[in-house]
Amino acid sequence: METTRCTPLFAWHTAAGAKMGDFAGFQMPLEYPSGTVTEHRAVRSGCGIFDVSHMGNLRVTDPAAVNRLLTNDVTRLAPGGLQYTLLATPTGGVVDDMMITRTGPTELTIVPNAANTEAVMAVLSAEMGAAVADESDQFAIIAVQGPASPRVLAGLGLPTDHAYMTAVTGEFEGAVVTVSRSGYTGEHGYELIVPADSAVALWEALAEVPEVTPAGLGARDTLRTEMGYPLHGHELTADIGPVEAMLGWAVAWDKDEFRGREALVERRAAAGGRRLRGIILSDRGVPRPGMTVRDASGAVVGETTSGTFSPTLRHGIALALLDRAVSPDDPVTVDVRGRQLAGTVVRPPFVAASPK
Amino acid sequence: MNPQDLQYTVEHEWIRTQGEVIRFGITDFAQDALGDIVYVSLPEVGDQLTAGQPCGEVESTKSVSDVFAPVTGTVTARNDALDDEPGVINSDPYGAGWLVEVAASGDGTQFLDAAAYEAHTAAL
Repeated sequence: METTRCTPLFAWHTAAGAKMGDFAGFQMPLEYPSGTVTEHRAVRSGCGIFDVSHMGNLRVTDPAAVNRLLTNDVTRLAPGGLQYTLLATPTGGVVDDMMITRTGPTELTIVPNAANTEAVMAVLSAEMGAAVADESDQFAIIAVQGPASPRVLAGLGLPTDHAYMTAVTGEFEGAVVTVSRSGYTGEHGYELIVPADSAVALWEALAEVPEVTPAGLGARDTLRTEMGYPLHGHELTADIGPVEAMLGWAVAWDKDEFRGREALVERRAAAGGRRLRGIILSDRGVPRPGMTVRDASGAVVGETTSGTFSPTLRHGIALALLDRAVSPDDPVTVDVRGRQLAGTVVRPPFVAASPK
Repeated sequence: MNPQDLQYTVEHEWIRTQGEVIRFGITDFAQDALGDIVYVSLPEVGDQLTAGQPCGEVESTKSVSDVFAPVTGTVTARNDALDDEPGVINSDPYGAGWLVEVAASGDGTQFLDAAAYEAHTAAL
């Protein structure tokens, strides 16, 4: 369990001078010598590439069985379609959030978070046995994100014109590459699923394009936080579910059966509770997860779940679970190591999203 | 890499002594370890500092680090330019990225010369 794993691109990252760090048991690049802010801006204005091969890759051959577990409805997916979905706990929290792609009439691919791949695999295989296979080690995943990403991929002969939240296959040096129009940055972008032994060649070809900037997990986090996208372990946990995280749109409430349905219906109908909101600080400072949020009267109204400095806004921003009585535009303070920093509640995204 | 005419602390700060006043900042090693610095909190002019005690914060996109007073004394100047452009600490840690000037009135923490500081960082 505790042994450190590497992606096929590990040697490239270290040779490029990346600062490496442990993430979900993988040695991953946190940032390259260019630094997080430069990498962040490259994605917003040009094109960044991310190694996200630590994420899982599960092949499912029983769509009906998986649809009895996941919150969203895979029957709505046309071939090649992608969907954001959740595996809930029986009590209405979340085992993991994930993308699911219909890769064939009876075949689906699930990409769970690295830290949760085993847990997702355990729940799915208990329900469908051999109809789910963990193929995580066979593939690398490279995210190509930013307004210049279509030009970059087209230059490598990969398809780029398909619709947002769909996937098609292309070919790179003889290897089949799945090209998904998806991402975690809020920009127009793609996620490439490539056989592990072709990953280095594809990555190097991308990195050689002058307008491409390799980006690490630091930028991935600042980019997704600006979008208000949830990160499991922060905005979604065994306790914090889709009702609290404002992800009811990823739950097919009209479906007869999915894991955690009863508890989620109950949570949805319940009064009170907390909801995920954004906070922009007007005072200088950087909020971090787990900081106390107070309203104008000084009463505690919630806690931050993620926080960072927004390179785009040049202000501290946070995602926070706040009492339902707290509304957008309300003034709040965030307790940053004893300093009460003023901010305003907003509805994310913090920065206009343009993924389509 | 680290200027020979400065002194250093194990907390990765540099010190330039100018008579009774010392100017200090964080080292190149420290700025590199922190990454892009996005926020700095510094003491105000007139504040009393105690050697070895935290007197401010330097924060990057990923983490926060205390600034420790290298000497006991009174703050005579703070680098206001860092409030708007904290990234100067990354680009010029020993020059325009200085943090604070203090009129020393008491003991300092233990200072290292450049060679000893490099030996210290090499062992980390």
